[in-house]
Amino acid sequence: MSDNSIPIVKRMFFREAIAKAVREEMTANPRVFIMGQDVGAFGGSYREFDGLFAEFGAERVRDTPVAEAATIGIGVGAAAAGYRPLVSITYMDFMMLGFDALINYGAKSRYKTGGQLTSPVVVKTTAGALGQGVAHSQCIESWLMSVPGLKVVAPSTPADAYGLMKTALRAEGPVVYIDHKRLFPIPGDVPMEETAIPFGQAVVHRAGLDVTITSHSFMVRVAMEAAKKLEEAGISSEVIDLRSLAPLDMETVAASVGRTGFLVTLEEGQTTCGVGVEVAAQLYERIGARPWARVGALRAPVSSNPVLEPACLPDAARVVQAVHRLLGR
Amino acid sequence: MIYQLTVPAAVPGVEEIRILEWHKEPGAAIETGDLIVELETHKAVIEVRAGQAGVLRQVLAQAGDWRTIGLPVALFSSDASEELPSDAAGASAMLVEFEVT
Repeated sequence: MSDNSIPIVKRMFFREAIAKAVREEMTANPRVFIMGQDVGAFGGSYREFDGLFAEFGAERVRDTPVAEAATIGIGVGAAAAGYRPLVSITYMDFMMLGFDALINYGAKSRYKTGGQLTSPVVVKTTAGALGQGVAHSQCIESWLMSVPGLKVVAPSTPADAYGLMKTALRAEGPVVYIDHKRLFPIPGDVPMEETAIPFGQAVVHRAGLDVTITSHSFMVRVAMEAAKKLEEAGISSEVIDLRSLAPLDMETVAASVGRTGFLVTLEEGQTTCGVGVEVAAQLYERIGARPWARVGALRAPVSSNPVLEPACLPDAARVVQAVHRLLGR
Repeated sequence: MIYQLTVPAAVPGVEEIRILEWHKEPGAAIETGDLIVELETHKAVIEVRAGQAGVLRQVLAQAGDWRTIGLPVALFSSDASEELPSDAAGASAMLVEFEVT
């Protein structure tokens, strides 16, 4: 008989899952602190730090001005000095301002100093289009995957948001943790017992026989929608949520495509030098040639215009079309 | 006449809400403008107020429960003595106003 007094999982909003992980890690380690715009009394741009300011105070939950370069730079430096900062960058687009600090100092310090200096900073940022225009909509995770020394993760469910954040705040950083504007409204079950999800582990959301669809972040939901439509057309799709982009879990992907024989990669970002081509190239290195196709945003900045935005972004119909074309049926 | 209160599509992009707090109990008489229940979305709290008078008869979801947009969470009747149906599916929609706070 199970103990009925402690629930095993609790359904909560995406933001609450993040807050849970951060609270646990801030409680466990006094060197974890948060920096960013609206992280304090406001509770986080997406309310993902709700309650933490009241609990831990202004010393550990620090509001910054609109100054991403400085904030990321200070985070990288504080991490090198022995802290574990969580830097919140509300829009992934503005991470660009901190690339020098994050990449040339954060990611490279271990190499430059022969291991004497490391920078375990976590940059948490929100990607994706939601009507806010060309400079507030980007998904640029593929730009970061190639940086030696940088880890990149992207949860698609509240449980993964929780588990990956716990690992991020303990990891050999720097870590870029990417959530998505369109994920915040979606609730999910989160384990009540402290559980971390290791990096480098993808998860199969739907088992299938005819084609493997790999994706991450919000697009996993689009992939699942497409898989449902494809089922009606007699095609069984295996949907893999990569979760971890650097390091990539190619073992899971290769095992899947080894069985299905076909790969479709799906991302909200650009397909040029995207996440998909990296998956496809590494797949080829592992198991040889398999037919594959990539689906992503059209080659244009994502407008806030209500007609142009959906026209630019991948949807289930576009994924279904790509699968039909790839399979030839 | 029996009325059902369904979860309003108050905030764009929201498919599911969590019941935050009931402000009326079964048996309570409701006037137009009365605060009936508060619902929680990922972003904000929705105050659901009566758009018509009636009697709250049955609460179908408790504080902390999750409900999808469009699903019923309470039953009302114009008269306290009306018999409640076993299945509220055919009931008219209760008129409400909601405020996103």
